[in-house]
Amino acid sequence: MVGASAGATGSLPRLARLPETGPSAPRVAPPALLEAAVVTHGLIAPEYWRLVLDAPAIARTVEPGQFAMLTVARGEESWPVLPRPMAIYGWDRAGGRIEIVYRVVGEGTRRLTRWSCGDRIVTVGPLGRGFVLLPAAQRIVLLGRGIGTCSLTALAGVAAARGIAVHALVSARHSDALVGGEAYRAAGAVEVREVVDTDGSSGVGPVGAWLAENCRTGVDQIYACGSDRLLRLALEMARATGTGVQVSLEAHMACGLGFCHGCATGHPGLVEESPLVCRDGPVFRHLPSAPVA
Amino acid sequence: MIGRGAVDLSVELPRGLRLDNPILVASGTFGYGVEYSEVVDIQRLGAICCKGTTLRPRVGNITPRVTETPAGMLNSIGLQNPGVDAVVRKYGPTWQGWHVPVIVNVAGESIDDYVEVARRLDGMPGVAGIELNISCPNVGRGGLQFAIDAEAAGAVTAAVRRATELPLLVKLSPNVADVRPIARAIEAAGADAITAINTLSGIAVGPGRRRPLLGNVYGGLSGPAIKPVALRIVYEVAQVVDIPIIAIGGVAELGDVLDYLAVGAIGVQVGTVLFADPTLPVRLIDELADECRRLGLNSYLPLVGTALPKRSSPMSAPSSKGVEYRP
Ligand SMILES: Cc1cc2nc3c(=O)[nH]c(=O)nc-3n(C[C@H](O)[C@H](O)[C@H](O)COP(=O)(O)OP(=O)(O)OC[C@H]3O[C@@H](n4cnc5c(N)ncnc54)[C@H](O)[C@@H]3O)c2cc1C
Ligand SMILES: Cc1cc2nc3c(=O)[nH]c(=O)nc-3n(C[C@H](O)[C@H](O)[C@H](O)COP(=O)(O)O)c2cc1C
Ligand code: FES
Repeated sequence: MVGASAGATGSLPRLARLPETGPSAPRVAPPALLEAAVVTHGLIAPEYWRLVLDAPAIARTVEPGQFAMLTVARGEESWPVLPRPMAIYGWDRAGGRIEIVYRVVGEGTRRLTRWSCGDRIVTVGPLGRGFVLLPAAQRIVLLGRGIGTCSLTALAGVAAARGIAVHALVSARHSDALVGGEAYRAAGAVEVREVVDTDGSSGVGPVGAWLAENCRTGVDQIYACGSDRLLRLALEMARATGTGVQVSLEAHMACGLGFCHGCATGHPGLVEESPLVCRDGPVFRHLPSAPVA
Repeated sequence: MIGRGAVDLSVELPRGLRLDNPILVASGTFGYGVEYSEVVDIQRLGAICCKGTTLRPRVGNITPRVTETPAGMLNSIGLQNPGVDAVVRKYGPTWQGWHVPVIVNVAGESIDDYVEVARRLDGMPGVAGIELNISCPNVGRGGLQFAIDAEAAGAVTAAVRRATELPLLVKLSPNVADVRPIARAIEAAGADAITAINTLSGIAVGPGRRRPLLGNVYGGLSGPAIKPVALRIVYEVAQVVDIPIIAIGGVAELGDVLDYLAVGAIGVQVGTVLFADPTLPVRLIDELADECRRLGLNSYLPLVGTALPKRSSPMSAPSSKGVEYRP
């Protein structure tokens, strides 16, 4: 995955934690551990799977951009030893369900595909600090690439329900890898632009032009996940227009709960421990004034 | 529930460190205990070994710091922690109210560091014991780890012993040719128990095979992959020391606990597997009690040492069959 992985963002500007309190602080409820029953699980495109879990304690409090840790080892198996972080793609609070969309990339996600209806997956969530919608926001832009879009889909729903105009860009290597477009449309996004590498539409030129056009007409916040290139574009735009940027990062994780310090971002330096993706993030902000590297 | 009859899983370690049962959680894999307190019944655990604690605050290593390996993981966290004073201030009052004993895992770069941390922990409410992580570079000796040299391991143990009345556990590193002289030196220096093992030194290769994966290059291997090594070390150490041994390394199911007991451990710590299965230690407690009932035992202690060679007398010479004779 071409993720905005934490370890690889050394050349990007310094990240800032979202505020702890106030209207632009994310809402965070204590996580629950449960053995979530698989309700639906199946292939939705080559390599891409959709998993619905019965997880009332998570569905009750989850906010857009938060994630869960899924244990992929089954009953008697003692490995993989690490659970896998997965964004919560969508949820049904009343029905007590959460939805995850994932791409098979390695051993853990390959094993995840073997779970079937009725099986129970050890799941811990909701975790991390998610995206924040500013109280006065009227128009937002979502930039997602590949599986990274999965962190953004839920935000579109919450924003649209508040009457915020959502403009979403869905980028991927090829058309089979475009995920999230349906979810955005169902959520009521006013624009869903799908771009791919195979026809060049995902290039910096066309995407930059689209973003600039959107920003000219006034955007309150840009949200990005899944690509350093998209993040760079967002930051350039932020510098030019003063728009705030929130980005969701990825990092290899062990605990997901903020104590093992396995998932540090590598920012900001040697004196102070860098923020943790699982606890301080996965969503970070770039202030409009942040210097661009 | 299998059978009837009460099973007493409790165990008495030296200096009055009483554990309700022999299932502990390993340093670095359970935070300060508070992190899991919402999701696990932590008061049932035998003890909690908290994250490594140093004199001054430490930031972690360059990222990435963790990755999965076959049946295990590599970590190079770098002993990130806020320093002993902050740890005691932040968690001491909470630990004091707990039934479960908290053993503070201590790391340092010099004997003075270790001693000072131990001194500050001594008599601190909520601290039930100290576990020395001696797999740290000794800055005073060119960065050579305390754990790989019997003299250095003995010296740091003795110095800490003088600084505190707390039960003192010393944790062995597997990254040595022969662990037995080191274990003997630690016992002679006054340790109350030995814990074994810490992680095995390893590396992984990064994407594109252009450089090692971990930012720190080297990491510590843990998880079920290391169990045979840990078993061997416990087996060897159990034959040369008389203080209790607590085994660590890839515990994932009751069979692992029973194996470690059989080679002479009096308890085990659950580590890496906790990440995927946080409730495992509590289940192991129940399963161990069930196993005792099944065997008609009212204590698990008869299960300890059953696979060790018979010792002719407690003072008999250490086995000459060991690392040096392996093919
Ligand atoms: C907050 C967050 C949200 C995520 N949301 C999603 C999602 O909604 N859908 C999705 O498909 N993927 C998502 N990912 C990425 C997903 O966690 C990895 O693709 C997955 O862990 C890969 O596991 P594997 O065993 O198949 O791959 P392997 O490469 O075999 O994994 C080896 C080790 O590296 C870790 N790892 C590998 N790639 C990543 C990665 N990109 N991020 C973090 N750890 C990684 C694994 O967890 C494992 O410990 C998210 C990651 C994070 C941090
Ligand atoms: C993420 C992580 C952090 C660790 N931190 C420490 C530490 O601070 N001090 C220490 O003595 N051991 C530390 N360890 C080693 C464990 O306590 C344990 O000895 C080792 O992982 C082997 O047990 P396991 O296979 O059950 O994990 C750490 C292990 C892991 C995986
Ligand atoms: S994964 Fe353990 S601190 Fe983030």
